[in-house]
Order: sequence, then structure tokens, then C-alpha cells
Amino acid sequence: MGSRGPVGPDQGGEEVQGEGFADIVPEWCHRTITPGAGPWMSWVALASPSGGNEVQLDFSARELTIKLVYYGPALSGKTTNLQALHEAADAKTTGRLMTLETRDDRTLFFDLLPLAFRDPGGLAVRLKVFTVPGQVIHSSTRRLVVQGADGIAFIADSQMTEAQNSAASFMDLRENLKTHGITLKQMPLIIQFNKRDLPRVRSDEEIAKLAQQGREAVFLAVATEGKGVVESFLGLLHLTWMSLERAHCLREKFGFDYVRFMSQVAQSLGQQRTVREILATCVGGKIEPFVTEVGL
Amino acid sequence: MVESAQPPSLDALTIGRGAPLEELVDRAALGELVASFYELFRVPLRIFNAEGRILADASHPEPLYVYLDSLRRARRVLAEEISAVKSVDPGVGGDAIYPSVTGSAYRIVSIAYDGRQLGRMIFGPFLPLAIRELPETLLALDPDLDVGEVRILLAKMPRARQETVGQIANHLLRTLDLILFSGHKALLTSKMHLASIRESYRELEVKSQRLQEAYDRLKELDRLKSNFLATVSHELRTPLTSIIGYGEMLSEGIAGELTTDQADFVATIREKGEQLLGLIKGLLDLSKLESGTMRVSRELVDMATVIADVQLTLAPTARKKGVTFEATVPAGRYFVWGDGERLRQVFLNLAENAIKFTPAAGTVTVSASDGTLDAGDGDDSGHVLFTGVRPAVEVRVTDTGIGIPESERLRVFDTFYQIDSSSTREQGGTGLGLSIVKKLVEGHAGRIWIEGNDPSGAVFAVLLPTQQGRAG
Repeated sequence: MGSRGPVGPDQGGEEVQGEGFADIVPEWCHRTITPGAGPWMSWVALASPSGGNEVQLDFSARELTIKLVYYGPALSGKTTNLQALHEAADAKTTGRLMTLETRDDRTLFFDLLPLAFRDPGGLAVRLKVFTVPGQVIHSSTRRLVVQGADGIAFIADSQMTEAQNSAASFMDLRENLKTHGITLKQMPLIIQFNKRDLPRVRSDEEIAKLAQQGREAVFLAVATEGKGVVESFLGLLHLTWMSLERAHCLREKFGFDYVRFMSQVAQSLGQQRTVREILATCVGGKIEPFVTEVGL
Repeated sequence: MVESAQPPSLDALTIGRGAPLEELVDRAALGELVASFYELFRVPLRIFNAEGRILADASHPEPLYVYLDSLRRARRVLAEEISAVKSVDPGVGGDAIYPSVTGSAYRIVSIAYDGRQLGRMIFGPFLPLAIRELPETLLALDPDLDVGEVRILLAKMPRARQETVGQIANHLLRTLDLILFSGHKALLTSKMHLASIRESYRELEVKSQRLQEAYDRLKELDRLKSNFLATVSHELRTPLTSIIGYGEMLSEGIAGELTTDQADFVATIREKGEQLLGLIKGLLDLSKLESGTMRVSRELVDMATVIADVQLTLAPTARKKGVTFEATVPAGRYFVWGDGERLRQVFLNLAENAIKFTPAAGTVTVSASDGTLDAGDGDDSGHVLFTGVRPAVEVRVTDTGIGIPESERLRVFDTFYQIDSSSTREQGGTGLGLSIVKKLVEGHAGRIWIEGNDPSGAVFAVLLPTQQGRAG
């Protein structure tokens, strides 16, 4: 109780800065919450907009933990994405990439990559990036890993022959989310078409055309070469953050500067481009409106 | 806040607070590691968890401190100093130095993992190399201090450069970090094992619950079917009995003499009526057998009497068809504890079938011989544990008819099953007889099966338990 929603009367004093940002923030966000107001506030799990999953938000430590999950069919390159991300990240940002139980280079449980950032405003942001085991038989493990996810990157294999497997895995994701009481629509989600370097893949134009009609943001990648990996990750982080912001008013509560944060993340992942440029590599779906909203 | 005694959950281990230091590293192993560092560098070293509880201690009481401990005032000052050292917070990943009144120093280093402070290591007391003279603070420590003694003891204190201690700490931290990572990984793996087993179990439980519900529903439907069958059979039988009764009266001429044609027609009506009645009785029997409401009396039955009765009943049918019907069952030898009428029904049915499917000039034989029945359903495992084999009689109804293919031999006992289910089949029948026979035999704790009869024909063998020494 009391972990969500307005606390205390409307202070009304604080100005909302940043053109257009207020539009995506619900009204009750414009009130203040005193960090660490009481012991009951010190460690709360807030229900996020996506229903059953939870954001770990520690008021007293001013710390936010976000869980991102890389989902997809077997051998589509989820672990490779994490490895590439780990390589791209500077030592200050990332911890060791933990690979849990593998047999013949196949994931049995999950991989876990921790990334940590501290916003100059004082909020520590910890990102925990997971992969699920792709093989069909590990369905119950996938269900466990996807529980509590704040955002999902779906890694699809671009090869024509793998289209069926990708579709089946997507259905599996939908079912697994359903058991946690979440619909796909509620979940921040990007789709990555990986292995663009292989022959007999769907053409860029074809994917772009389909992506324009779809809802999800789509990125193209060659994870083995690190291409498109950071872009997909930032796209996912962006959508996840927007969704969390809408639910928890992080900007109001922590004075969190989203644009600065995203730039910091991009830099620590070795990116020279601006976040806007990076997000512009998205070939379809609905990432654009948010970009303009926050004025990136 | 003190961590609860409960082991950390999967969420806590991955995205939450993490595990306490003592969960990630084996305490004995930590002790050994710390001891090996002490052996190497001679700098006292202790490791504390996040709550300040000591986990490992590699130090020997320094003679100087032992001596000071014997002085009243010095002891109090040093005790205060130690508790102050223990409460120094170096900050996550930080490092702090605490100077002692003796001129030596403590170094407090944070043990951090995944951005969180799991504990601290405290080096010291050690004497920095720069200290040459007896420090003033040491001399002022206690009025009873023996300066000569202190000078000798101070010289025995371990000495180290702050930078060296920093390097040792750094090296130990890196070693510890590897251990913590492995510990974290092992802990997660075992958690994940348990969690996925639990999840699979939950999934199975949901499925078996659904199966159970489906099974219960089917059982209920089956019960309804049996009830329906019983009711319908009963309702059909009542008017049919009247039809047959009035037909009988007509043919007996009670309503006046009949012409030959009329008598023929009435005879056909009666015959078909009887056939229909037989079918309905069969249905009724079956539903009673299935619902377990069939009333079976128990008495000592001589199989010879049963078979003789059957032979008497079927002799005209066999004769009409030109089939030789023989029965060789010795009287007064095989006694079955059961229902004579139901047993008669069993063999009447089997023999009638045999005659029906045997062409003219064929032979149907009913014979009986000694047999044994296993106590456990034909499976002889654990034989010695059971009450043993029971004496039985094996009655075989053998014909020289068309026979039954091996693949059909189990299915013919299914309700309504017909080998030839085409509408143009030669032989009539409802497919009820054999299923009733099987249920009746089983009701007498017996077994029934089919064998082939060389060169053609079938053998229906019935094994029934017999009672010994009750002859007469």
C-alpha cells in the first residue's frame, strides 16, 4: 500500500522542463515524493504498467533496477548479442557476463549481463540484461526468466528457413507472458532481425515494408560482428524507459534527466553518434513519436 | 537491517539485493585464503560481513597489545579504538586508514560485488615503516607503562608500507571477486535448477488436474449411460412381454382357430419377439454388470450339471444344423462356488456361438480338465508371496467353424464388437453376448481366452476356480 500513486499534497511549485515531455507524463506525477519517507518506502517493488511485472525501485538508496530480457528461437544469437554488448561496454559500466549452465555452447538457463550507470541527478540505474534458453524444451525456464521483465528484445534469425521457428518462439513468448498476466501490447518490445550477413535472408526492403505496418520497433543486426547490437539495445532501453516513466514519474521523483542518461549509456557503449541518430536506425514500428516527444 | 535467515530468492540474486557475503563464499575456504595472505605478508587481517560479523581472522596477538592489555587504562582506550575501527565505513569500493594510539595503523577496505558492499576487510594493526621513535600517544597511554618494555615490544610489531598494504588488499580483492563471482554463479545455478523443476512440476500438476477432471466427467457420463441403458431395457421389456404373451394366446387358439398362414405369421411374431427380448435381457445384464448391481447367488455348482443342461438345451439346434455336439464333463468332480444360472448362461452362450459359426457336419465339443489359476493376474512375479495357485477347472468349448483371427481374439469381448460388422454379414447377433460372458466369468474370479483349433475353428477356454473336498 502507498507504494504507488501520489503521496502528500500537490506542491505545484516545480516547473516541468523540456518541451513536450509533460505530454507523456500523467498528471499525478507532478507531485513530489520525499525519498526515503519511511522504512516502508525503503524497498518497494512497484507494479509497472505492464501489469504483473515489477520494477525494483529503492527509494532510500535512490536506485532503480531494470530487467531486460533477450527472447527468441534457438540459435538466433541472443547470447552473441550479450557478448557483443559486453565487449562494447567500458569496464566501468559492465560487470562480468555470467553464463549459466551451458552444454555445447547452448544456453540451458540464462546469461546475465549487469550494466550500471549513475545519473548526475543521483539516481543509480542498474540494468540486468538476460537471455532465455531458446530450445523448445526449455519452456518452463523461459517462463521463469521472463517473469518480471521490464522490456523484451526479440531476436529473430533472418534466414528464410528460420521464419517458422521465429514465429513459433514469438507465440511462445506471448503464452509465457500470458501466464504472468501480461499481454504483448503492454510490454516494451523491439524485434531484431539478426544474421543479416547470411545468404537467403529476407531483403532489407521487405523487412522495412513489413515493419512499417507492424507495431514493434525493428532493428537489423549482425551480432557476430557487433553490428546493430547497441542500436537494438538502446531502442529497447528507450522504449522501456518511456514505459517506466509513464508509470513511475522517475523524472519528477528523482530529477532524472532522460536525455543525458541515454547519451551517457550510448557513450559507455562506445557510440560516437547521438542517441537520435542511433534510434533512427530502427527500420519500422513506433519508436519515432517518442523520440520527438522527448526532444532527442 | 539484518538479512533474514531465508535463502535469497532467484529475483534477489539477479535483480534484487543480492546474497550476503557468507552465502557466496565458503567460510572455511575464506579462512584458508586469509591465512595464506597472512603467512605471506605477516600483516594481520580480518574479514567482516555487511552486518559487521567476523567471517575470517588471520592474526596472532601482538606482544605489544598483549602487554598493553594488562594495563587498566590502556586496555580501555584500545577497546574503544577497536570498536571505532570496526565501525569505519569505507564506502562501496572504498578504502580508509585508521591510525592507532600505538603509532601503528589499521586499513579498512570495502568488499564490493556488483556495486554493493558485501563486507569489509580490516588489515592491522601494522607499524608504518616511517615510525622510528616511540610515539607520544603511546607513551601517554597509561601511567604504569614500562617504556623499556614497550620499546622492545614495538620493535616486534609487523611493519609494512601503506602502499604495500594497499597492493595486498587489491590483490586479495581481485582474488575474492573471482570467488564471489563463482559463488554467485553456483548459487544462481542451483536456484535455477530448483526453480525450473518446481515450474515443471507445477505445469504437470495443472495438466494432471485437467486430466482428472476429464476422467471424472467421462466416468459420470459412463454411469449415466449405464443408468439409461437399464431404464430403457426395462421399459422395452414390459410391452414386449405383452406382445409375446398375446402372440402365444393367439397361437394357442384362445381367440379362435387360426388359419395355417395366420399361425405362421403369429409364430414369426413370437420368434422375433423372443429374439428382441433376448437382446434386451442382454443389455439389461450388461448394464447391471457394469454398474455392479447384478445379483449373483453363491452355491456349490457341479460343472457337469451345468454343461449337461446346456447340452440338453442346444441339442435340437445342433441337430437342425447337422452339427455334432458333444460334452465330456465328468460328474461330481469339478465344483465351482458361484451362480449356477449365470454359469449356465456363460456356457450356453459359448456353445450357441460355436454351433452358429460351425458349418454342417462340423463338431462342437465341451470338455473339462484340471487347471490352475494364478493368484496374481496372470503375472507370476512375486509368486512365492501370494497364497499360491488355486485349483481350477478349465472348460474348453471347441468348434470346427471359421475360427477367429489372432488379432481379433481380445476385441471380441468388447461390448457391441462384431468381427464382421458389415450390414450383409451372414450371422446375426448383437455383439453383447461375449462381453457379458467375460464379465460373468470375471465375476466368478475366472479367466476366459480364445485359442485357435487346428486346422480350423476356435477354442473358448474358461478357467474357473474350484472348491475341493466339497463334492457331493
